Amino acid sequence: MGIPSAPIVTKAFKDLAILNAAKRGMPHERICFTQHPVWGKTPDELRVYVDGQDPVNQKPFMKEVVDALTVPLSDEEKKSGIVSVSVGPPTFTDTAENLQDFYLNNGYTDFLPIILPTQEKVDAMLKGTSHHPDEVVGKMAAGAYPPWSYTVRHVAASAVMAGCRPEYLPILLAIASTGIASLFSSTNSFAFSMIVNGPIRDKLEFNYGIGALGPFAQANAAIGRAWTLMSKNLGNGGIPGDTYLGSLGNNLNYNNVVIAENEEASPWVPFHVQRGFKKEENVVSLFRGLGVVPGQVARGSSVNTSPMFDEQLSDLFSTFTGFFGALVIADPLVAVRLHEQGYDTKEKLIDWLYKNTTQTVKDYKSRNYAYLFEYPQALQGVEPFATWYKLPDDAVIPHFPRASSFNVVVTGGQTNAYPQAANMSYGVSVSIDKWM
Amino acid sequence: MNRRKLLSLLGMSPVLLTGDPARAGQAKRADSGADSGQAKITAVNPKGMPPAIQLIPMAPRLASLDGKTVYLVDTGFHGSDMLLQQIEAWFKRNMPQVTTVFRRKAGPYAQDDPALWKEIKAQGNAVIMAVGH
Repeated sequence: MGIPSAPIVTKAFKDLAILNAAKRGMPHERICFTQHPVWGKTPDELRVYVDGQDPVNQKPFMKEVVDALTVPLSDEEKKSGIVSVSVGPPTFTDTAENLQDFYLNNGYTDFLPIILPTQEKVDAMLKGTSHHPDEVVGKMAAGAYPPWSYTVRHVAASAVMAGCRPEYLPILLAIASTGIASLFSSTNSFAFSMIVNGPIRDKLEFNYGIGALGPFAQANAAIGRAWTLMSKNLGNGGIPGDTYLGSLGNNLNYNNVVIAENEEASPWVPFHVQRGFKKEENVVSLFRGLGVVPGQVARGSSVNTSPMFDEQLSDLFSTFTGFFGALVIADPLVAVRLHEQGYDTKEKLIDWLYKNTTQTVKDYKSRNYAYLFEYPQALQGVEPFATWYKLPDDAVIPHFPRASSFNVVVTGGQTNAYPQAANMSYGVSVSIDKWM
Repeated sequence: MNRRKLLSLLGMSPVLLTGDPARAGQAKRADSGADSGQAKITAVNPKGMPPAIQLIPMAPRLASLDGKTVYLVDTGFHGSDMLLQQIEAWFKRNMPQVTTVFRRKAGPYAQDDPALWKEIKAQGNAVIMAVGH
C-alpha cells in the first residue's frame, strides 16, 4: 500500500505472525503485541492492555505502535530481492533406525512409525501411475500461506510412508491435485473427509460394509493416513504454532474420515453420479468441517417402529454450524427406510432437511461462525445473510443457508439402522482414473 | 523468533542447517550406534518445493504523527473493534493532534478489501490494524 502500518497481534500468535510476515516478504515487519485474548474482555480490561506493556517486546504498548509508524527504517527493512528456500537434499542416507528418528523428529510423520520411503519402495510405488515422477501435481498451502508445489515422486514418498500399496497412488494423486490439505492452520481444529466412488472400491478392497469408518481395511486406513502425511510434507502443514493452530486439535486428523460408498446396498444414485460423473468412473470427493456425531443421540432415536430418520437427522443438525454443511452418513438400513418414507432420491431428502431444520434469528446471531464469517457478508449484501440480519430476533429461518449445504452418502454393514452426521462442507470431486 | 521457528520459516530442519547434506540423515549417529555395523539405506525426502520469498521493502515511516490521519482497521476478529476503540481513546488523551478514522474491513477476516486500501492511500497517512486474534 506504500503507507506505514502497525499490525497488532495477541501474544499467543507471536511465532505465527512473525513467520507469516517473513514468508510473505517482510521478515522485519513491525508487529505490535498485546495481551491474549482480546475476545471476551470488557472495555476497562482492554484499556489496561492498551496502557500496559507489549508482552513480547517488553515496551509500553502504545509506544511500540507509534514507533512502528515513525521510527526510520533500517537497511534490513528496506531490502528487496529474492530469498531462495531449501528443504534439504532429495535423499537421506543412514541406518533405518536413524532415519525413522530423523523423519519423526523433523515433522515428516504423524508420530507413528512409518514405512521408510527408500528409493526402491518409492520406485515401486511410482509403478502405480503412468505419470512421470517429475510431473508437478499441484500446489498446497497450509491455510493462508504461500503454497508449495510438488511432484508425483513427492506424493509417492508420503504414500510409502503411510503404508499404501502402489495401486492406491492414483487416489492420492487425485487428492494432491486439488491442493486441499487435511491439516488447516485455523484455531478451529478442522476435520476432513473423503468419499470414494466407483469400481476402484472393490479393486482396492475398500471396506464399505461392517465397520466402514473404522480400522478394518488397508485401503481405508492407509489412504486416509497418507492424506495427512501429504498435508505435512507437500504443503508444510501441521507445524504447531506455525502452520497449525487448532487449539484442541482433532483426532480425526490421524487418518481422516474415509468413506467408500456402499453403492450396491444404497437405494439412491451414488454420490459421484450426483456430481456429474458416470457410475463406472472412479472418483474421490473431499469435505471439510468440524467433526462427526452419531445418530443414536438424536431425539426420536429410541422408537422401535417406523423410525423417522428425517426428523432424527434434523435434530442432530441443531448444534451444527450452518457455515459448514451437513453430510449425512447413512447405513443402508437407514437409507432404505428413508426411501420407504418416500424419499426416493437424495435430493428429496435434502429438500425436506433444508426446509425443516430451522432456528430463530436470535439463536443464529449468537453463533460464532455467523459473527465471524456471515455477518461480514451480510454487511456486503450477500444473501441470505443480509436478509437474515434484518429480521426480528423471533423470526424463524433455515439452519443452513442453502439446500446445497446438505449431502448424503451411504455406507456401512447393515448390522443396525444407525446414521452418523458430519458437520462438513463439500469441496470438490476429482477423477481418480486420470491419475492411473 | 526461536531457532526452531526460524528453521521452519526457511523450510529446513535443524540438522539440515549444519550445511552438510551428508549429515542430514544422520541425526543421531554419534550416540545411537549407527557405526556399529548396521546397513545404511537411502530414503527419499518427502517435502514439497517451497516458493522463493520475494522481499518487500517496507513503506517509509512518518517523521511524526502530528497532524496526520491514522486509520484504525478492524479485521473482524472478536473484540478487535473494542480494542481499537481503546486505542482511539488513547490517541485522544495522549496525542490529540492525531486524527483517527475507524473502519471495519469488508468481508470475513481473510478477505482482501482493495477499496479500503485505496481509500486509506488517498486519505490516510498510516494504518493500525487489529487484531490477529
